[in-house]
Amino acid sequence: MRVALEKYRQAFLVGLQSNIVYRWNFAVRGFFSLFHLAVVFTLWGAAFAGSASIGGFDLRQTLTYFVTLLVLQFLISAFNEDYQISEEIRNGLINQFLLKPINYFLYRFSIFVAARLVTGTLILLPLAVALPFIHDSLVFPAEGWRYAAALPALLLSAMIQFSIAYCFGMLTFWFLEIQGFVILSMAVEAVLGGQMFPLDLMPEPVFRVAQYLPFFYQMYFPAAILTGRLGADQVLPGLAIQACWVVALLAVNQLLWVRGLRRHTAVGG
Amino acid sequence: MLHYLKVWLASARYSVTRTMMFRGDFLVWSLVEFFWMGVNVLMVSVIYRHTDSIAGWNRNEMLLLLGTSMLIQRMLMGFFWSGIFEMGRNVRSGNFDFFLAQPGNVMFMATTRKVDPDGLVNCVVAAALVAYSAAELGLRPGPGAIALYGCMLLCGLVIHYSILVLSVSAVFWLTSAQGVEGGYFTLAEFSRLPREAFRGVKSVLFVWLLPVVVVSNAPARVLLKGFDPLWAAWLAGLAGLWFALAVLVFHRGLRRYASASS
Repeated sequence: MRVALEKYRQAFLVGLQSNIVYRWNFAVRGFFSLFHLAVVFTLWGAAFAGSASIGGFDLRQTLTYFVTLLVLQFLISAFNEDYQISEEIRNGLINQFLLKPINYFLYRFSIFVAARLVTGTLILLPLAVALPFIHDSLVFPAEGWRYAAALPALLLSAMIQFSIAYCFGMLTFWFLEIQGFVILSMAVEAVLGGQMFPLDLMPEPVFRVAQYLPFFYQMYFPAAILTGRLGADQVLPGLAIQACWVVALLAVNQLLWVRGLRRHTAVGG
Repeated sequence: MLHYLKVWLASARYSVTRTMMFRGDFLVWSLVEFFWMGVNVLMVSVIYRHTDSIAGWNRNEMLLLLGTSMLIQRMLMGFFWSGIFEMGRNVRSGNFDFFLAQPGNVMFMATTRKVDPDGLVNCVVAAALVAYSAAELGLRPGPGAIALYGCMLLCGLVIHYSILVLSVSAVFWLTSAQGVEGGYFTLAEFSRLPREAFRGVKSVLFVWLLPVVVVSNAPARVLLKGFDPLWAAWLAGLAGLWFALAVLVFHRGLRRYASASS
């Protein structure tokens, strides 16, 4: 067990080093995301000019939701893991893992955790710069249970994010080019994951259906817990559905890996 | 000039032929662009379920602005995106040498090499959104207004192109422009907002200093409110200025390029 853990610890450390190489890249990306916040603040500020409350929430609560979402994006979401996996399959780099006693999923997951540690830390930098300007617009609920419930929700969200990216990476066994599928799914995730607008602003029947989809638990669910958009009675059932999605996606990951390897041809030495 | 037109036509012909060889891929990418446009239309629709006005603009006016913004962006995607996107990767890998060896201006060769028909197909969808919202608003623009609108779209295209080249040129200084080029998309988000929504510091920064608001607001205003020489001159001036800046930064960066191939 310890030996096994050591392997993934090393993968984690390698991931940490390779992501720190691109620290300026991530930092610039983080600073650009402040422009996205400026868009959000402008758009929603203008929308709230005509009404004090939208969907039962005021402007500050809505802006807090989007700021939380931004931080979560750097902390738990998959960036280009699907592309990296796809490249490893396409270029044959994956062959080296087939002959070694290492689980490819855990290897990639270790690197994913390392990458999010780096990006999650780096987003604090632009956020610290922006905080004096935006702190008046932020209002977090005082209930302590929200933070306790958000922790497992965040961990499960990270698992869902990575598993979906892994699934798309695995598609390379069948398709030469997967970027189209990835960006197509990003459009779906942007809407059903609550990145464009809080999901509770959608018509009630659509919102109900969305609650049973994995995208709901990618970003919206933990953000809604932290910003008070979900009640206490919705959290436990939500966590249960989220856990079910993690199990289902892990099963799909394994299925795609096994089926994909059957199609895979390793050439060269 | 004729030489460059011939080079571009040859590249465009090659790109279209290549796209037709991968028809499935063309279909997926057309859907990608279509879905992203749908996402933005959906966002506007959801917000207007809860409010009647955003900075004094009603739903159809916002859709016209959104359609205009998307039309410029789709043209950028169709004519320049692949070339500029690959430029970032080529500089990092050393494959950029290929463009240095070509008989022509490096910036032209590197940024116009590929045409994406899927982006161009979606121009039709964006134009349809503009036409739909104009019809809903009861607008009947004459040929002059439509021609002026087209000219302003071209100015907007030059501005978008320049911002994207500037973003990707960062690769000459940074190890990778991945993520930095995403900055273009972030800035492009501003073009979907009405100018009246910007006040104070935001107005100075995004309306006056960066051309991200005027790029779509100026053409949209031609249809909504008629010709305003001030807006037209402002847009044309900005297009010239930002293009000059892009050329300058690109060539400064080019001096740093040391080739990474073997």
